[in-house]
Amino acid sequence: MFKRFIYLITAASFILGGVAARAQDAGALLDLLVRKKIITDQEAEEVRAELTKQTAETSAGKLKLSTPITELEIYGDARLRYEYRGGRTADNTSQPNDWQERERERYRLRIGLRGTLADDWFFGVRLETSQTNRSTNVTFGDDTSTTSGTTTTFNGPFAKNSDGINVGQAYLGYKGFRDITLTGGKMPNPLITTLMLWDADINPEGGAEQWKHTFTLNFGQSGVAQAEQSYSKDNKALAISEPASEPWTLKIDVFANLAQFVYDDVNPENPVGKRGTTDGRLKPQTDAWLMAWQVGARFNFPKNYYFQVAPVLYNYTGNGDTFNSHFVGGDPSLSNSDSLATNQVGINSLLVLEVPSEFGFKIGELPVRIFGDFAVNFEADDRARAAGFPDKGDQRYAFMIGAGIGQLKAKHDWQIQAWYQHTDQYAVDPNLVDSDIWDSRVNMHGVAVQGGYALSDAIIFNLTYGYAWRVDKGLGTGGTGDIGINPLDKYQIFQADLNVRF
Amino acid sequence: MKRIYLNLITTIAVIGSANADRLVIKGSDTLGAKLVPQLAEQFKAQNPGTTFDIAAEGSTTGIAAIIDGTAQIGMSSRRAKSSEVGAAAAKGINMKPTVVAYDGIAVIVNANNPVKSLTKKQVEQIFAGDITDWSAVGGSGSKVSIYTRNTSSGTYSDFKELAMKKRDYAGGSQKMAGNEQIAAEVGKNPAGIGYVGIAYTKAGGVKVVSIDGATPSIQSVQNHSYPYWRPTFYYTNGEPSGIAKTFLDFTLSAAGQKIVNQVGFVPIK
Repeated sequence: MFKRFIYLITAASFILGGVAARAQDAGALLDLLVRKKIITDQEAEEVRAELTKQTAETSAGKLKLSTPITELEIYGDARLRYEYRGGRTADNTSQPNDWQERERERYRLRIGLRGTLADDWFFGVRLETSQTNRSTNVTFGDDTSTTSGTTTTFNGPFAKNSDGINVGQAYLGYKGFRDITLTGGKMPNPLITTLMLWDADINPEGGAEQWKHTFTLNFGQSGVAQAEQSYSKDNKALAISEPASEPWTLKIDVFANLAQFVYDDVNPENPVGKRGTTDGRLKPQTDAWLMAWQVGARFNFPKNYYFQVAPVLYNYTGNGDTFNSHFVGGDPSLSNSDSLATNQVGINSLLVLEVPSEFGFKIGELPVRIFGDFAVNFEADDRARAAGFPDKGDQRYAFMIGAGIGQLKAKHDWQIQAWYQHTDQYAVDPNLVDSDIWDSRVNMHGVAVQGGYALSDAIIFNLTYGYAWRVDKGLGTGGTGDIGINPLDKYQIFQADLNVRF
Repeated sequence: MKRIYLNLITTIAVIGSANADRLVIKGSDTLGAKLVPQLAEQFKAQNPGTTFDIAAEGSTTGIAAIIDGTAQIGMSSRRAKSSEVGAAAAKGINMKPTVVAYDGIAVIVNANNPVKSLTKKQVEQIFAGDITDWSAVGGSGSKVSIYTRNTSSGTYSDFKELAMKKRDYAGGSQKMAGNEQIAAEVGKNPAGIGYVGIAYTKAGGVKVVSIDGATPSIQSVQNHSYPYWRPTFYYTNGEPSGIAKTFLDFTLSAAGQKIVNQVGFVPIK
């Protein structure tokens, strides 16, 4: 009778909570009851066996994780999108001031697993729709036929040719050293940056080393003192010594992010026989790498004020076999098709300093942020010269400034942000800039507005509108976008998104 | 014709009677190497005609034998895993554990090793490979040689859970088939360290180190003050019956628990 009573109590605690967590709780409870000599080991084992059987028969109990996994999270999002984007030709072309427009209904799905492993290792895998590096979208109805050479295959309506699942992220990392995170693989971008330089869908490949340390400064009556701080790998339990009085406290997160991304792998590095040539030039034998060095700090002032600045220097080394031609980026003196056919992807002469920054505070409960970014290419003169425009070396700057208010964390939250963005033709890498604003192009400037509303904790409705103009009328608008016009004299985009996040 | 039927019925009854006195026990090497064979010998002396088929190849095999119905008793030095219980339930098997003895897992080193005691943290670090030299724990400067049970052993996983926070063993650790092999290897190797059931600590050339000041003993295991203790089990399909129940009752009896004590395990009371 008593055993049944124990079983009922234990089973109740087990059933009323999460299965796995409660099973552990029940084990601890049984151990305590045995130690208190309230039940025997045999009685505890019988209850434990019954609970294990019940656990094994639940859905969670049938899911088995390998022993080294200490924590596992399934996450992701799905999105439905309507999009309009259009670009206008220049007024001095054969078809002046003509808009090319495109409307698309699209979806995307991203589903990921990330977890921690024993001994301070971690990992992540994310599957995504779309093979494109700068997009995870699939366009409805765009795969009704497939053309290969001169052969067209009709796939029919609602075909699945473009509905593939691709590995978007696959990385492994280590957090065993104090304040340091090491990551290798195809990873979420470890750099603090903006859409001006990096499309948010890009998951760079290579290695990254991140260091972050928090300093707490107390400005009390006795002057400045640094508070004692304990070490916590998960940054969740930082114990800070209590000051004698209520000082004015400044917390500074100092960080450094180093990255070595494999930009373009050459194959083979060492061919059989004599090294070949392309257009009279020896074929490259080295991989192209993108190296990044970022140092920065976030100053957290009292009353929710903060300021963050994170300068980063990008340098490109090696050759690769895809991007080692000189960038041109279009030419207004050529026909549209010839201008489009000029090199849009070369990464020659790029030594870029970027300085993203953000200032934030709260108005009541509403977070407000003012953000900006600035970039300069120190080798723009060479890049312009190689493109055939030696007098355009001054087209080396990119900058943005904007403001946002609100947040999208819970049901009925809202957010609005707007910004101005300007990118010169030779300022940044056109292969990395955001594909929506402005159609993966450089030599554009314009404004963008985004608004969002949380219909529930998990459902977000977003609207985006942007309008842009060409910066320098004497140059093309470099980069490969969805609009088949170069130079892109004007551009606009509208997107309506319904997001489900989980 | 009637006589033929009678002969047939008699023959079946005889065969049935013979099967009822045959007890198949499979599983844990910890239990099956010494304890259960000695219990079986004593039991046979009291129950002539009973035959035993004992296979000691690791706890996993004992639990699997209950699920497969190839043994009446499954010896195990660990609890059945959720996956095993689930697999059993899917076949309509009810895995019933009965605690038959306690076992303290003793950490042993070579008798000539100056180290006499270790902390739980040091044990974890040694077996996980964080500490690789004896000088880090007060020993002479030599590289630590780690001996563990093989992966099918219940002791292998129990030690990971009890002493290593479920971490993996160090890459260079050597896996041994049984307690006796571990004791023999540690006895020969001055830099060796391993773990064995409490029944095997009297092997030549080895000594037991205390853990956080506690050494494995009957009292420290029964009151659970020694950290590396574990219950050992007979698993049956539901409540045991027939010869299996008789043998289980014998194991739990005063006579059975006396044998438990004699072979180095800790009686449950």
